[in-house]
Amino acid sequence: VSKILVVDDEAAIRKVVRDALEREGHAVETAAAGADAVGRLEAGGFDLLITDLNMPGMDGLELVRRVRRFSAAPILILTVRQDERAKVRLLDSGADDYVTKPFGVAELLARTRALLRRHDPRTATAPLTRFGSVVVDRESRTVRKGDTEIHLTPTEYGLLLALLSKPGAVWTHRQLMSEVWGSAAGVTPDTLRVHMGSLRRKLEDDPNRPRFIRTEPWVGYRFVGSE
Amino acid sequence: VPKSLLSRRFGYVGSVLLVGAVLGLLELVPNPTDTVRALVLLVSVFVSAWIWESGPGVLAAVLATIGFNFLFLPPVYTFTIQDPANVVALGVFLAAALIIGRLSALARLRLRQLEAERKELIRLAQLSQAFFADTNRESFLGIAADRLHRALGCKHISILLGTDEGGLEVAAASGTEPIRTDLAELAFRQGNSASFPSAFGGTDVYLPIPLGVQRVGSLAALGVQVSERMVEGCALLVGLALEREKFVKVARTAEEARAREEMQTTLLATLAHDLKTPVAAVRGAVDNWEAEDGPTEKSRLVGESLARLTRLIDELLEVVRLESSVGRPQRERTSAMALVEAAVARFGDALAGHPFFVDTPPEDLYIEADPAQVTEALGLGLENAARYSPVDRPIRLGVIPDDALVRFRIEDSGPGIPAEERRHVLEKFVRLPTTSSIPGSGLGLYIARRLVEENGGQIEIDASPAGGTRLDIALRRVS
Repeated sequence: VSKILVVDDEAAIRKVVRDALEREGHAVETAAAGADAVGRLEAGGFDLLITDLNMPGMDGLELVRRVRRFSAAPILILTVRQDERAKVRLLDSGADDYVTKPFGVAELLARTRALLRRHDPRTATAPLTRFGSVVVDRESRTVRKGDTEIHLTPTEYGLLLALLSKPGAVWTHRQLMSEVWGSAAGVTPDTLRVHMGSLRRKLEDDPNRPRFIRTEPWVGYRFVGSE
Repeated sequence: VPKSLLSRRFGYVGSVLLVGAVLGLLELVPNPTDTVRALVLLVSVFVSAWIWESGPGVLAAVLATIGFNFLFLPPVYTFTIQDPANVVALGVFLAAALIIGRLSALARLRLRQLEAERKELIRLAQLSQAFFADTNRESFLGIAADRLHRALGCKHISILLGTDEGGLEVAAASGTEPIRTDLAELAFRQGNSASFPSAFGGTDVYLPIPLGVQRVGSLAALGVQVSERMVEGCALLVGLALEREKFVKVARTAEEARAREEMQTTLLATLAHDLKTPVAAVRGAVDNWEAEDGPTEKSRLVGESLARLTRLIDELLEVVRLESSVGRPQRERTSAMALVEAAVARFGDALAGHPFFVDTPPEDLYIEADPAQVTEALGLGLENAARYSPVDRPIRLGVIPDDALVRFRIEDSGPGIPAEERRHVLEKFVRLPTTSSIPGSGLGLYIARRLVEENGGQIEIDASPAGGTRLDIALRRVS
């Protein structure tokens, strides 16, 4: 059972999200304003924060910045479409993921599961990861697709490990570049795109419609494992 | 000491009285030597020249010499001199008196000039402070003439400024005296300044109002009591103040436009949020309902309607944004590859059921555009292709560059659009009569066209060789 705080100024959204999460067996508390949420989170004990972006008073971005001063708990943002720049700002400020209104409950729950799982220490250290017909063996540093061994360049392997380390999470271009190259300086998103394209051609069944390595347009990439 | 006694007009009388008084005093003192007498007289010459300057100084020197001869050189009380040596001594005395008088007057004159310059500088500084405190053109000009009038101590001031039509007009004046417009024109057109003795006393000055190497107008000052340099300084100040006022206005307009646009963007974002939030609540409630009681025909219908509503809201918001010109495109150098990738990621799901071919463009192909807007346009084109061509028919996305343009090409193998309709489908709310069974608002391609045009590009619709529609989004190529 995880303890989740839901922040939205709209009562109907709080109710819908609460119902869905409680059905999954989580303990849910709600807050109608950012300032209230900060106080509750400071008191501690929450495993996940779900917050609206556009709220009167303290908005979602400000809330993320405040919370990140004292807490590493995963944060999921409820946004509306269109504002890619705001999404990048959110993620770079410490939010972990977002869903777009009107979101489906199934999508919301899947993102929630991914965020909660990621903070479970067992996932990051597992030697084997499977998705589709692909098996990644961290110990022998091999990748197989079906029966064939796939040769990955060091950069591709680095990208794959980064993505696998946070299943379900969005990586902004900048975050991925500094994770894999050590610094975002001197690397362009186009370089990243070329390596990502090559990685997809090696691992995805249909690289034009990738199932596992998803593009978040103008934001970054997300690894979606087999549910 | 009364001030009138120190004025230069009183100078000649004053120096006569002073030297006379000193001579009388020396006559009364018993037995001073000639040297003492000479020195005391030289002091009186020095004082005369210091107070009343050169003319009275010379007069004092001559009077002192004559008096010295008459009263003290034997035979006394005559103008004759007995001892030839005394003739030489008197000559030396006269020379010394003249030199002392001259030096004293020069020193005094220099001091007076310095004092006047200091005062002018202070006045200029005060004037500049007053000018730069005022940022409004009309009120600045109104007060500027009066302030200059006082600072220059003149009879009349006119500030003339060049008009947009190339003429020269009086923008502000401190009185009604007529000025020589020909000289003002000359100052403005040629940059020639003129100054000559004024009918009001002092000088009349016509100067250009400079601004860098250009001129914005001219300044006419009648009966000026201060130096011409001071007037030049004032003209320079007026030019600078006008320029500053112009920049302040430009900056203010830009700031207002920015604030207005920011407010509209915020309003639109809030509108989007406020429209989508209730839809999100309903969709969540339906999903929860299905999860608890299992999906039904009714819940499926609600879900479909909500999806349509969401789409319509998105389209209408986009139309509002485009037609109110909120949020101009934020253009940046973007690779064709990135655009294709984003469009596929965003809209690939909408193509489900259609075989989808993407020709990955070369890496070094760039356009200058708002990436999110071009992606949106590409996506709308792809959705359109998917919606109007039968399932299982392929859709292809390719990129065709030439020297000047990058064309993003979407080809389907649907029924195609008749040649005479191709222009119309890019208009608002236009749908082909043959497609009325397929739900749609008739806004998709209109939005796509507007988005592409906002980014300086064009949409072209043609027949695809495969039999369907070919839609090209052409944008200017950059290196």
